[in-house]
Amino acid sequence: MEVKLMTGNEAAARGFYEAGGLVASSYPGSPTVELLEAVRAYSPEVYAEFSVNEKVALEVGIGASFTGARAMVSMKHVGVNIAMDPLMTFTQTPIQGGFLLVSGEDPGMASSQNEQDNRVLGKFANMAILDPGSSQEAKDFAKLGFSLSEDYGLPVMLRMTSRVCHSRGPVEELEREVRDISGFSKIPEDFGMVPPNTFPKQFEMKKRIERLTAEACGWDINFLEVWEGDGRNSVQRLAPIDPQFLSPHKTLIITSGLLYYNLKELEAPVDIYKLGMVYPLPIEALRSLAEDYEQVLVLEELTPFIENELKIHGIACEGKKYFSFTGELHTELIEAGLVKAGVLKAANYETAGEVDTVARISMFCAGCPHRPVFDILKKNKISVIGDIGCYSLAVLEPLHMLNTIISMGATIGIMKGMSKALSLSGKAEPLVSVIGDGTFFHSGMTGALNLLHQLDPAANLTLIILNNGTTAMTGGQMTATSGSYTKDWDMNTSIPELLKAMGFPRVRVVDQFDYKGAKAAIEEELKFEGLSIVMTTRPCALNFKIREPYFVVDPQICIGCRSCVKTNCPPIVMKAYNGIEKLKSSIDPDLCVGCSVCSQVCPVSAISRVGDKGRNGEKASTLVEALPADKSPEEGGKR
Amino acid sequence: MVKNIMLGGVGGQGLVMTTAIISEAAFLAGFDVKTNDVIGLSQRGGKVWGSVRYGEEVFSPNIAPGRADVLLALEALEGLRWSGFVKAGGVVILNTAKIPPVPVITEKAAYPEDIEGLIAGDGQRAVEVRAVNALEEARKLGNLKVVNMVTIGMLSAVLEDIPVDCWRQAIEAHVPEKTLALNLKAFDLGREIR
Repeated sequence: MEVKLMTGNEAAARGFYEAGGLVASSYPGSPTVELLEAVRAYSPEVYAEFSVNEKVALEVGIGASFTGARAMVSMKHVGVNIAMDPLMTFTQTPIQGGFLLVSGEDPGMASSQNEQDNRVLGKFANMAILDPGSSQEAKDFAKLGFSLSEDYGLPVMLRMTSRVCHSRGPVEELEREVRDISGFSKIPEDFGMVPPNTFPKQFEMKKRIERLTAEACGWDINFLEVWEGDGRNSVQRLAPIDPQFLSPHKTLIITSGLLYYNLKELEAPVDIYKLGMVYPLPIEALRSLAEDYEQVLVLEELTPFIENELKIHGIACEGKKYFSFTGELHTELIEAGLVKAGVLKAANYETAGEVDTVARISMFCAGCPHRPVFDILKKNKISVIGDIGCYSLAVLEPLHMLNTIISMGATIGIMKGMSKALSLSGKAEPLVSVIGDGTFFHSGMTGALNLLHQLDPAANLTLIILNNGTTAMTGGQMTATSGSYTKDWDMNTSIPELLKAMGFPRVRVVDQFDYKGAKAAIEEELKFEGLSIVMTTRPCALNFKIREPYFVVDPQICIGCRSCVKTNCPPIVMKAYNGIEKLKSSIDPDLCVGCSVCSQVCPVSAISRVGDKGRNGEKASTLVEALPADKSPEEGGKR
Repeated sequence: MVKNIMLGGVGGQGLVMTTAIISEAAFLAGFDVKTNDVIGLSQRGGKVWGSVRYGEEVFSPNIAPGRADVLLALEALEGLRWSGFVKAGGVVILNTAKIPPVPVITEKAAYPEDIEGLIAGDGQRAVEVRAVNALEEARKLGNLKVVNMVTIGMLSAVLEDIPVDCWRQAIEAHVPEKTLALNLKAFDLGREIR
C-alpha cells in the first residue's frame, strides 16, 4: 500500500475509513475542523456531517453506534463540554459499534477561549484515552480506538493537540475493513438509562477500567526506550520489563503524544516510557519500572494528569515542578525543565525566536459584512455583549467594543441576566448583544426563546444577528441559512420567520451594505424602549468569494478625516501622495473587493468605484444576492 | 541531518498550501518529513507561521529558535518577525511586498524600514537575504495568485538536495489543473532569482 503525507486530521479520518467506520459527525472548531472535511472525501462509503452543535453530533454518533456501526465524533476541546450530557450517560451502556470521540486540544490557545485539558473529562466519563503524537499514530490509534471500544465496551477518546492535528507526516494507507452491522439491539435494560437499569452499569464501568489498567501493561503502544549513549535507543515493548533492558541511567521520563518526539530531539541521557494510552495507565508496569530509577519525571502539557494518576497510586514522580502547566512544551522548554531538574547540566537551545516588532493581529477581511455593523455601533458608542465567531475580533483593537465573550450562544442569556440585575438595582441601561447565524443555531436559539419569559416590556434590549450564511471563522462550513445564499446547500431556514413563530414582536432585517439605511434602522432599534431583533443579510465575503470592481480614493477630494480608515479595512491606509502635503487615504486595489462601505462613510465623496461614475445612488451589487431587507420595522420578516 | 524550513506570512496568503507543496517535494525526494502550520485566531489578516523539516528521520515538527536553515517569508514584516529562527549563515527568502498590519493602519506604529538590512544582521548572526517583490513578479505573469509559487521557486534553488522534478510533481499535485502551466512558469521564474 501507498505511503502518503497526511495531517493528523487527515490521518485520523483515514483511520476511521480503514476501520470500516460508517457515520462521522462533528461541529467545526479548530483544531479538528479538517478532520470531518477529510472524512467527507470517503463518501458515499461513509456518512459525514457537521451537525448543528456538538451535543447533536454526539447523539448522531450514539445512534450509529447503537446499531453496531463504528462511529466517530470530532470536536474542539470546549465542544466536548456541550456534548458531556449525552456522553456521561451513553458511557454507561455496553458499546455496540466502536465509538471514538476525537477531542481537539489547544495548548497555548492559538485559537480558543480557554485551555482546558480534556483528559480530565475522559477520565470523568470512564473512557479510555489515546494520545497520538504523529500522523501515523493518529491513524493507528483511531483504528485501535474502535477495537478497544468494542472489546472493552466503552467509548474511547482520541485526544489530539492542535500540533498533532495540523502537523503533516508520512502515513501508510491500508485497505478498508469490511464490517457488517448487528442492527439496533432493542434491550432497554442496556440502553434505557433510568434506575434501576443504571445500578449495575456503575460496576460495569469500574470493571472495564480495571481490566484496561491491567491489560494495558502488555500493549505495544506503551513502551520503554533505553538510552544507549550513542544517540540511539533500544525499544522494549513487553511488560513486565525484561531486566536486561534496564538501564544504568538515573532518570526515567514518562511522556506521551507529541512531547515524546519533542523530547527525542534533545538526545538526552534518559530512558523514556512512552504512553500511547494516557488513561487508564498501565500502573503495575510503571510501578515496577519506577523502582529502578533515582528520578521519575512526567512530561506532559497542561494539567498534571499523568503525574497525579501516578501519585494517586503511590508512584513518586515530579512533573509540573519543572514543566509549565500552560502553553505548549517545545523542545527548548523541555530542555530548560531538564536543566532545572538536574538531568542536563546546561541549556543548548535558544528560547527566543520571534523578533519583537509591529504586532499583526487578525482583522475583518476586505468586504467583511460585519464591518459596517461594528462601525455603526462604534459611532453610537455602544458597548456590546459578544459571542463566538469572526465578530469576536471586535473585542480587540482597534474596535475594542465587545465587553464579554464566554461561550457559544452565551450572549443572549448574559444580556438577559444583566438586564434583570441592572433593572432590579435601578441601574438599567440599554443592552446590545451580537451573534452570528452559526452560533445562533448552535445554542443561541434556546437563549433567545428564554428572553420571552418574564420579559420586561420596557427593558431596552437589542439583539443583532449577523447572518452571513456560514460558520466563517472555522473556514466557511455551511449553516442552516446557507441555502439562502447558495443552491449547493440543503438547509434554508428563515431566521426572521423562526423568531416570529417563537413570538418575537419586533424583528427587523437590514442590508448593511446600504450603510445609511442600515445605520438609521440600527439606531432606531437601539433607541427603541423594548426588545428588538435586527438581522443583517450580507453573506461572508470570503466564503462566497465576493469580488467586485475595486474603489479608489481621489486624494484631491479627500480631506484626510480617516472615516474610511476607521472602518479598519485591510486595503485602506493613509498615504503620502506626491505634491500633497497632508496624508490622504488610499486603497490597495489588490486587496479591495468592492464592498463600497468606505465610499459610503466618506463625507466628501472622495471614494468611487473604478469604472463607475460615483457612489451617489449606487448600491453595491454582489455575486451572491443578499436577502431582501425590510423597509420598516412594522413589516418585520416575510410571512 | 535534518533540514529546517521556517515559513511566515499573513493569514489568507496561502501559507498552508505552501507548506504542503514544500513537504510533498521533500517527501517525493525520499526524505522523512514533518510539518506544522500554526494558524492563530480567525482566517485572515493575522500572523501565521509554519515549518517543514526533512531528513533521514524527523522526530518533532517544530523548529527551535535559531535553528532554521531557511526562512521563507511571504511578507516583509513577517520575514522580520520570524528571522530570529534562522541560524547564522542561513538563508532568508523574502517577498518584499508589504501588507500593513492594524497598528500601521491606525497610525499607532510605522511599518519598519530597511527590513532587508534588519534581517541580514551582521557579524556572527549574519544571514543571506534573497529578496524580491514576488507580487510584482506574479503581476508580470498576469495572475497575482501565483505569488507564492515564485518564492517556492526561489526556495527550490536553495534546497539542492530536492531534485527539481520532485518540486514539479508536488506542484502538480496541489494546484488546479487549469493553472498548472502558469504555476510552473512562476516556479521556473523563481528558480532564476538570486
